[in-house]
Amino acid sequence: MVEGGGGRIDPGDKARDEFLSEAQELVDGLGRDLLKLDETVKKGQLDPELVNDLFRAVHTLKGLSGLFGVTRMAGLSHQLEDVLDDLRLGRVELGTPVLDLLFRAVSAYGRILAAEKGQLEEPAQEVEQLLLLLGQVAMRKTGGVAGPAALYDLDPGLFGVLTEYEEHRLRSNVQQGLALYRIRARFSLLTIDSALDELKAAARPHGEIITYLPTGSGADADAIELEILMASRASIDVLRTAVERPDVTLEVVRRREAPGPVSLPPSPATIRPTTPPLAEAPLRASLSRRPPVGGEGVEMSLRSVTQTVRVDIRKLDRLMTIVGELAIVKTAIAKLTERARRRSTGPRELAVELQRLNRTFERHLAQMQGGILEVRMVPLGQVFDKLARVVRQISREHDREVNLVVTGAETEIDKLIVEELSDPLMHMIRNAIGHGIESRDERLTAGKPAVGTIALNAFQKGNHVVIEIEDDGAGMNPEAIIAAAIRRGIVTGDEARALTTREVLALVFMPGFTTTETATDLSGRGMGLDVVKTNMGKLGGVVDIASELGIGTKMTITLPITLAIINVLLVEVRGRLFAVPLANVEEAIALDAAQVRTIESREVLSVRGTSIPLCRLGHLFDLTREESSRGRAFVVIARIANRRLGFVVDELVGQQDIVIKPLGRSLHAVRGFAGATELGDQRVALVLDVGALTEEVLIPVENRFFATVDDPGRRFARIGGE
Amino acid sequence: MGVPVHTRTERRAARRAGEGGRRIEYLAFRLAGESYAVQIADLAEILKPPPITEVPRAPWAVLGLVSVRGRLVTVIDLRRRLHIARASGDSVAALDPKARILLTDVGSGEQIGLLVDEVQEVWRLAPEQIESPDALGGVEPGHIAGIGRPAGVDGPILILLDLRPLLAAP
Repeated sequence: MVEGGGGRIDPGDKARDEFLSEAQELVDGLGRDLLKLDETVKKGQLDPELVNDLFRAVHTLKGLSGLFGVTRMAGLSHQLEDVLDDLRLGRVELGTPVLDLLFRAVSAYGRILAAEKGQLEEPAQEVEQLLLLLGQVAMRKTGGVAGPAALYDLDPGLFGVLTEYEEHRLRSNVQQGLALYRIRARFSLLTIDSALDELKAAARPHGEIITYLPTGSGADADAIELEILMASRASIDVLRTAVERPDVTLEVVRRREAPGPVSLPPSPATIRPTTPPLAEAPLRASLSRRPPVGGEGVEMSLRSVTQTVRVDIRKLDRLMTIVGELAIVKTAIAKLTERARRRSTGPRELAVELQRLNRTFERHLAQMQGGILEVRMVPLGQVFDKLARVVRQISREHDREVNLVVTGAETEIDKLIVEELSDPLMHMIRNAIGHGIESRDERLTAGKPAVGTIALNAFQKGNHVVIEIEDDGAGMNPEAIIAAAIRRGIVTGDEARALTTREVLALVFMPGFTTTETATDLSGRGMGLDVVKTNMGKLGGVVDIASELGIGTKMTITLPITLAIINVLLVEVRGRLFAVPLANVEEAIALDAAQVRTIESREVLSVRGTSIPLCRLGHLFDLTREESSRGRAFVVIARIANRRLGFVVDELVGQQDIVIKPLGRSLHAVRGFAGATELGDQRVALVLDVGALTEEVLIPVENRFFATVDDPGRRFARIGGE
Repeated sequence: MGVPVHTRTERRAARRAGEGGRRIEYLAFRLAGESYAVQIADLAEILKPPPITEVPRAPWAVLGLVSVRGRLVTVIDLRRRLHIARASGDSVAALDPKARILLTDVGSGEQIGLLVDEVQEVWRLAPEQIESPDALGGVEPGHIAGIGRPAGVDGPILILLDLRPLLAAP
């Protein structure tokens, strides 16, 4: 989102924008609930409430999309609703194939929304196919509750009065092998509400109450007898002590001694041989293929289609208060102006007043700025939730068992950064699963837990947010990396030998790097890590990597909390102004020429006993005019992660809060600048991308990589020029 | 009451548009002594050059950045872009007071400024007043859309530029 800012919201139809943002939220929620459902299914216990939640969300989406004429979404919702209804009522078994379809439906929703925003082609083909598959699921419905009725000594008439949902619960309890109990209870009409609740409360810990119906017998004018059907694992004695009281009797619903099959449940096929059994195999096959949409698969962007931010009303109230304060300042200025016009105030008095007002104004403006920044902040959980979905999908694609452990989802970061983060993070996770986590057998052989773990941690560190992606997989093999880098022509064998482990790991971020010989399904897809790194750089962030063979890999992303307004140090180099983000500046000192040594043709400054490599910005940028005549210079010491670099400048101009703006697309190829800013007097100053510059200057690999292209300052001119 | 009042120019413009069919408006400007012209439809506005900030490492034709009402605009020196040498020193600071920046908008999502020596006038050219660039023979640079002769044989000759290929790669 660095490019184009937030300005591309379609003009006009506001209601439609609201629809899109609401639908997006519903879809996000759907994804979350689905994950929960997936977990409960894995544990073998189904939470019926979750299915109900999903059903309601889809139902709402159906209504919304119908209202806004998004027919494709309405159609999908309709079909999905049917399947969820079947699931809810137990007509369809909730298993992995169905879950996969549901997950696919969520991503299809995302695509439809993106298409509605004009960002993508309508995923017509995909939705069609999905509808077909969902239709097949709906056809696989199992029969009614013939089993329990036939097997238990239940009044066949009972089934006429059970709701479908109750019927399903009865069936599924019987399937799970629970015993059925019949409770007969007589209630006084005066107290039936509380008494029934009491009874239910007493029974609930032991099982599930399926239904209660009036028996019609033993009733008189002010009493009613209910028959309560309950499923429980508890023995009759335990239940009896729990629920029995005067007027309440409990009995076991006996199994019929039928000659028929004792095994439960009867399979759907045997109940209804006429139902065309859904060909399990074709369904599986089509599921294991990637969705047939332009080869995108999960690689599709996880970005939300809306740029809406939900704001806590209290935050807005605070902003409103500040606006009120500003209005007071404005009134005071108006009064002062009037007094000055009438000359009823002396110039000195006027100056004092103005200064006071200016101070107040500045204070409120700072509060306002802070408040608005706060409004832009959203929790990282927004993107983490989506990643959890991706982890599930990718791990299934690669047949790996992976547990995602998330911490720090509440860490807040600028909305724009969150949006930009989702795709790179997705790619890094894909990498961690594809290249990191080993197969179950390999893991067991290595003495690791069978299920791999990917930890996604986020925390705030000063003005930065740190995100770590850590896997307990195979780790990176430095030799394999070197071999691949040599094969790809990124380094030569001689150069490789001189590299430290850290530098070797950094090779994976080089353009064109891949460890796989041929582009497989896994490596041939999506962006390389170099793109991840470049994208992070655009956000002012850095990616670091640490890996131990056999233990795992950890990627660390360090990002500024906000992009919008940054505090910079303005410096002058040969008559030009540049801005250095203060977040990257450790200190700025006068350059003492006596402390500069040249080591291997690189200037190094000694500062309090440590050596800091120097970079003369004038040389680096090839700035020719106006050599500093004052004969003095300053060093701005920048720190990125744990690398330090001193930028030599002519003059320190001062600090300023700036709004950083991206360079246009025409300057895309220009490296070393994070953007530019207007200084208030129409002048524009470039903002240094300290991370990129530090790397360019310090990392030997990169120097060597570009060494063939004469002067580094010129090389971009050549690339872009002609 | 209710009758629209036309200025003389407007009436004349309307008449011309009527008689000439599809006339297209071009803005003519001077560059290194020659007259060039671009379609007015591709221009957003004409600016007096504000202070231009050089961008190190940018392509040679890029003069730098200016801020137009808070928006950053990349400015391209059209002479450099067309490989016309500047007669005297190649310095940004020494701009001719007549120099202007044409703010282009060709729908690529980015507005780009073109520095020209002097803005001349607006011509409405009928198709028959435009010669095909084939007339130039030999190499045909893609950015020349044709030769305009707005005032007949003795009038000025305009080199009509197509901005799209010009701006695609500065």
